[in-house]
Amino acid sequence: MQSVIQVLLVAVQLGLLLALSPFVVGLIRKVKARLQCRRGAGLFQPYADLAKLFRKQPVISSTTSWIFTAAPYIVFASTVAAGLLMPVFVSHTPLNFAGNIIALVYLLALGTFFLILAGLDAGSAFGGMGSSREAIVATLAEPAMMLSILAIALTAGSTNLSTIVHQSALMEGVVVAPPAHLMALAALFIVTLAETGRVPVDNPATHLELTMIHEAMLLEYSGRYLALMEWAAGIKLLVFLTLIVNVFAPWGIATSLAPSAIAVGILVYLAKVAGLAVVIGVIESMFAKLRLFRVPELLGAAFILSLLALVFFYTLKG
Amino acid sequence: MPVSTHLGSQLVDLCSVLLLLCCFAIVAQRRLSACVDLFALQSAFLAATAALVAFLTGHRHIYFAAALTVVIKVIVLPRILRKVIERLNVSRELGMNVNIPAGLLICGALVIVAFFITQPIIPLGYLLTRDSLAIALAIILIGFFTMIARQKAITQMVGFLVMENGVFLGATAAAYGMPLIVELGVFFDVLVAGLIVGIYTHRLQDAFDSVDTSTLTVLKE
Amino acid sequence: MWSVIVLLTGPVIAGLLSLVIRRARVLHGVNFLTMLALAVAETALTRQVLAEGSVTTLGAFVYVDALSDFILVIITAIGLSCSLYMWSYMDDQVARGVIAPKRLGLFFFLFHMFLFAMVAATMANSLGVQWVALEGTTLATTFLIAFFRKRESLEAGWKYLILCSVGIALALFGVVLTYYSSVRVLGDASSALNMTALIGVANQLDPNVLKLAFIFILVGYGTKVGLVPMHTWLPDAYSEAPAPIAAMLAGVLETVAVYTVLRSKALVDQALPPEFSGNLLLTFGLLSFIVASLFILIQHNYKRLFAYSSIEHMGLAMIGFGVGGLVGTFGGLFHLLNHALAKALAFFVAGNIHRRFDTLEIDGVRGLARAQPITAVAILVAGCALVGLPPFSPFVSELLVVSAVAAQDFASDTMQVGRFVTMTISDEMRSLGIITVFLFFGVVLFGGFMYRIGAMVWGTPPAGIAQGEPWTVGHVPLMVMIVALLGLGFVLPEPIRTLLTRAVNVILVR
Repeated sequence: MQSVIQVLLVAVQLGLLLALSPFVVGLIRKVKARLQCRRGAGLFQPYADLAKLFRKQPVISSTTSWIFTAAPYIVFASTVAAGLLMPVFVSHTPLNFAGNIIALVYLLALGTFFLILAGLDAGSAFGGMGSSREAIVATLAEPAMMLSILAIALTAGSTNLSTIVHQSALMEGVVVAPPAHLMALAALFIVTLAETGRVPVDNPATHLELTMIHEAMLLEYSGRYLALMEWAAGIKLLVFLTLIVNVFAPWGIATSLAPSAIAVGILVYLAKVAGLAVVIGVIESMFAKLRLFRVPELLGAAFILSLLALVFFYTLKG
Repeated sequence: MPVSTHLGSQLVDLCSVLLLLCCFAIVAQRRLSACVDLFALQSAFLAATAALVAFLTGHRHIYFAAALTVVIKVIVLPRILRKVIERLNVSRELGMNVNIPAGLLICGALVIVAFFITQPIIPLGYLLTRDSLAIALAIILIGFFTMIARQKAITQMVGFLVMENGVFLGATAAAYGMPLIVELGVFFDVLVAGLIVGIYTHRLQDAFDSVDTSTLTVLKE
Repeated sequence: MWSVIVLLTGPVIAGLLSLVIRRARVLHGVNFLTMLALAVAETALTRQVLAEGSVTTLGAFVYVDALSDFILVIITAIGLSCSLYMWSYMDDQVARGVIAPKRLGLFFFLFHMFLFAMVAATMANSLGVQWVALEGTTLATTFLIAFFRKRESLEAGWKYLILCSVGIALALFGVVLTYYSSVRVLGDASSALNMTALIGVANQLDPNVLKLAFIFILVGYGTKVGLVPMHTWLPDAYSEAPAPIAAMLAGVLETVAVYTVLRSKALVDQALPPEFSGNLLLTFGLLSFIVASLFILIQHNYKRLFAYSSIEHMGLAMIGFGVGGLVGTFGGLFHLLNHALAKALAFFVAGNIHRRFDTLEIDGVRGLARAQPITAVAILVAGCALVGLPPFSPFVSELLVVSAVAAQDFASDTMQVGRFVTMTISDEMRSLGIITVFLFFGVVLFGGFMYRIGAMVWGTPPAGIAQGEPWTVGHVPLMVMIVALLGLGFVLPEPIRTLLTRAVNVILVR
């Protein structure tokens, strides 16, 4: 019985990640459109796009190797796996034994790595350019991400995400976040924007060759491969949003397996993710994309913030 | 009020950290007017911290200092500096002695240094505010660094004012504020210093066609 | 009581009057009379201090003991001679068109504010008020330094403003830390920075906090003193400031800044072994002495030459205070007075030369003995006094400092700065080492200094330089100072001796 529930939970979590990710992408686009006084495409447009792409016949350049066709599957699989490792609406996600927060970071990095390889594989100029830029961003973002996650892990005394979330969800009466958490949150937010190719770092809505990063790597893809890549990007965004809302605002997450708690957990989770997506949409509308040479400054700031988070963890006992 | 002290000290910590964040933002900021705005924001956080401490401890005279901070450092001084920027028609800092990522890293190191230096004296402080002393020293050091790293007269002044904010935070944190007469005197001095810098930038502009202090190299060995 | 009020209000009233008076002659008159009144008040105050030990008045805002009174003597003496010198100097500058006649009032206003800030810094009972006043001196003097509004003087004024403000902001943190330690013991928030209150409880203050506080205060106020490596503003400011202002800066402001350091030292020494503050002062002092002597060798600008000599003499005084003890401290204090006299004389002379030769370059000045005989005598006296030749009084005080160093038995001592830096000082730096260094650089200095001055005094004046020097009121202070430098070299008048001895006891109180 217990194991059936566990399997069921994993299935629900998987379904939620797969189903929700295009919606989040659509929501952000809608918010941006509204802020630009456009009506914008419908909230469910990304689903239609994906469905269309899956139906199309892929065209593959003859210069590519096996990496080109394998990469979309690897990227997709690693991202989904990362999503399954972390608590989404239940604080003790059934698969949490399979890895901790560091495994999550490196599953995502694996996806990025193959994305970069795929960008290089076709041998086009844009793909290589996009890959090299992505590599810069990824290398700079990773230390900041690791440090900020470490600061959180230190507070909880564990690197297991479920334990971290569970503990903070059970903590009562915490009105004020400790400074260390705030810094880590700010750092992680910047990293999120960078890793998921959002505006101050990359612009997901443009194919202008001078500025694009993520889109440049996908230029050679078409059909179901492109669909997988786009979908994986959406899931990655959702994974980051989930990480932020559940680690820094775990209120309402189900701490037991009671059906009512789980129902509340799902609803609260949806609301929080939607809220954060709106925030990202607003930020994307407020800021202009940074010049590529300024990106290291932004990520440097994220690194400093996460460093401060660590310092404050050790020094500010409140 | 044990619960309230714990919560209070968390709030005070939070406010001080926000002050420190403003410092980092100033270090990372190229636009002069944004630097001035960030300084005003920092001063607002400082006033909030002071008011919070006043509220939690019942020391009335800190309210007074907080009010003065709002008037002088949030309103008057930023206004003077903005006027200067407008009149001089400079908006950006192009040449810096230390580039921004390196500057941020140095400031991160300065924070750690500040925590180290104050470590032996922290336990003596009031429970409510003692952590802020380390942050205050960090702010002083970062302000000092800003003055070294930047070349524009305005940003150097902002660095000085940031140092002053740090000292004020230190005074509030360490001893619940200085004697009132001293605080008044310090505010007066800071205000006059702001006015003098305003006059100076004007004259430097006339004499050197620049407010870049790196052009001040007539006098040397 | 009345003397304190005169000393504090005199400069303020005179400053405000200067803003409304238009006629130059009246301005000078007001200035001179004010300084005279201050000198009279100071004499009365000294008498009172000698009789009663210390004076606390005006609601405990003012506290004058032998140490602060001694500093006040220097302020008023140099101030009075300055007012006479300015009479001819400023009139001359107006006549030459360097400054507009209507800016004369502004000059005197700033001058008196400067004076007021220094008097207030010396008399303040509270360390916080002392800080406020010392920052006030920075603000008042920055425009005095830049008064000629040339590019160079603007640059010097700006550097002075920025560097001293930064330094002094650090000192404020030191004051905050002192308050942090004292408010815990005293409890009473309003008087916890008062010297009168602090002296009683100094030995109960937390030593770790005081250590940190003293380091910040020394670095901060040390910037004002011009100790190496915080000295970079000093040569610029002294060389660009109008001569009487340079004399006030070098003779008086430095002395006041040293005084503020000494106040903290007296406090810290009660809670910590005196080696802690002593070694810090000794290190900064020696460093200043060495660096300044080397820079003197390469100077080709006579005002900068005198400026570096200031750094060197402050280093010397710091060595005296650092070694401590009766002899060292006495020597250091006495040296402050002698340096003030000699340096004011030197800058007066520099002002005379600059007006005649119109250059600050040593190479441009030749044949002073023929062009300006009185000035030539004065610069020789100033030069001899500044390199410490007998029979002038700096010789006596330098001798005292050196003998204090020689007599001192340096214990090996470690000091901890914060938690992570442990310095071992004076283990290797035994007295012999210090004296060797000291004498070596003393010789370096002697050569560099006298060579330059000799070059200026003798030879034939360049063509087009007027010869002969008519007697003006500006020559009176030169004569007085020469006499004072000579006289103090032979006898130390009884009141000054008593005052000095008492001041030494203030610093060494244990």
